[in-house]
Amino acid sequence: MMEPVTAPVGKSTAREYGEAIIEIAHLHKSFGENHVLNDFNLTVRRGENVVVLGKSGCGKSVLIKCIVGLLKYEEGSLKVFGKEINQLKQKELDEMRARIGFVFQSSALYDSMTVRENLEFSLRRHGKGKSKQEILQLVEEMLENVGLANAINLMPSELSGGMRKRIGLARSLILKPELMLYDEPTTGLDPITAEEISNLMLAMQQKYNTSSIIISHDMHCARLTANRLAVMIDGINYAEGTFEELSKITDPKVHAFFKNDKL
Amino acid sequence: MLMTYNALPLFKFIFMENKSAPTVPAKKRKEPFWLPLLPDGFRDFLTEAGEISRFVTRFFKEVWFPPYEFKEIFRQSYEIGYRSLPLVGLTAFIIGLVLTLQSRPTLARFGAESWLPAMVGISIIREIGPVIVALVCAGKIGSSIGAELGSMKVTEQIDAMEVSGTNPFRYIVVSRILSTTFMIPILVIMGDAIALVGSYLAVKLTGAISLTLFFQEVFESTDFSDFVPAFIKTFFFGFAIGVIGCYKGYNSKKGTEGVGESANSSVVVASLLVFVIDLVAVQITQFFGYL
Ligand SMILES: Nc1ncnc2c1ncn2[C@@H]1O[C@H](COP(=O)(O)OP(=O)(O)OP(=O)(O)O)[C@@H](O)[C@H]1O
Ligand SMILES: [Mg+2]
Repeated sequence: MMEPVTAPVGKSTAREYGEAIIEIAHLHKSFGENHVLNDFNLTVRRGENVVVLGKSGCGKSVLIKCIVGLLKYEEGSLKVFGKEINQLKQKELDEMRARIGFVFQSSALYDSMTVRENLEFSLRRHGKGKSKQEILQLVEEMLENVGLANAINLMPSELSGGMRKRIGLARSLILKPELMLYDEPTTGLDPITAEEISNLMLAMQQKYNTSSIIISHDMHCARLTANRLAVMIDGINYAEGTFEELSKITDPKVHAFFKNDKL
Repeated sequence: MLMTYNALPLFKFIFMENKSAPTVPAKKRKEPFWLPLLPDGFRDFLTEAGEISRFVTRFFKEVWFPPYEFKEIFRQSYEIGYRSLPLVGLTAFIIGLVLTLQSRPTLARFGAESWLPAMVGISIIREIGPVIVALVCAGKIGSSIGAELGSMKVTEQIDAMEVSGTNPFRYIVVSRILSTTFMIPILVIMGDAIALVGSYLAVKLTGAISLTLFFQEVFESTDFSDFVPAFIKTFFFGFAIGVIGCYKGYNSKKGTEGVGESANSSVVVASLLVFVIDLVAVQITQFFGYL
């Protein structure tokens, strides 16, 4: 059998990372006739940021939704924290999800709650007996981090698109998850805020040794945050490597992502 | 080398069986063999009914166990109950008034005008009050639940809740169904009372009668067997309205169109169900009435 996927440019690890947090092997996912993921492979280690690039509609969001068990995959293996996602019971899945932060592409803020309640929502359930004061403090700290401390009592409908994005980010980071899945965290933000967000993502990684999968078209953000990149084309992991390695590749499909952003 | 990756899935698909990975198939439910043989419309109806009953089963599985979302239940009860009171009250008042005005000439022809409070009272308490209030609520509450849950679904809020480790079914669906189940009976009682006041005013328009005398006549002519079955069925009305609104919203199709459709179809189905439940309830009451 052909040996396709991993790193056509050779395995690259600038520094050593911990154990594998996510192990994806031969993953298949289709919607009827639409085969979105076709034999997708990827491994993410503890403390590592992996950026996934890919054309719009190629299945990046589907991939991370499979990782948190929002979508069921049909074939292949997908292990998170060493456990096969499709085989988990609801309770185990919920426990696992408390360790994962998920930033939705559409922010997905709870419309009927204020910003503060949005951030408190999962803290109250998984906060392990934090007092009201502690919770409020955490919420304020997190809002400070995304630069929206004075939005605390606003409703989501009163926020701009970029503000919603940042609140969504704060909401997922507040539980200090071990694994973060960012779905286009900087898309639609101005370059200054985008850079701030990228730095925040880096800070989280360094402070809590968080692993992340970051889906992004923003090459600046990718360059800042990625320890490794994977290019998804036609449902497979087409090319994988560091920013430097990938930007040297001449294959037109990969090059298309990097041509405007040479190192 | 890179270019060959592209064709690989197709190649594999045609030429080899992929046995390299441990395969974890997603569970699939088996379809009974006769289902595809049925006419389309009937099959869709059966499928939908099956889905709704699965939804109801899930409700009964989840409702007993903690965490109980009391805060959300109270908030919903306020939204569903208190906020519907003006509409329910106004409708009930007008119905009581009009029903009385319309019945008077008929009764007058038989010289039975003095039966007016009794007759109107019985019809309001037994039938018209519960059904009218339930229909108004099916419209107001059914559509708002359908639309709200639909847009939560479409904007991925339900997914977000699920990912945050909170059971969205319990937080969103169970709390709403419980609220409708217990609020609609209360609304019906209030609606009945207001309708009777409307009826009193209509009686008063043409003849002198005191409020006490009116209510005395109403309650003298009604008894336990008028009130209790009518009251019990309102719980089922409330339950049905909650279930349908939540089901339609929770399973909303993607896009804004999906939201409109959930709101719309939850009103239609909930109203229909109110009539069906009413019909069944009447049959059951009559059956026990003859024992
Ligand atoms: N729930 C669903 N039902 C059916 N098809 C779906 C569903 N979700 C996604 N798809 C399909 O899967 C494919 C990949 O969608 P996905 O949202 O993952 O794209 P994406 O890579 O995230 O794109 P973008 O960069 O625009 O967000 C699309 O063709 C889409 O039509
Ligand atoms: Mg996407």
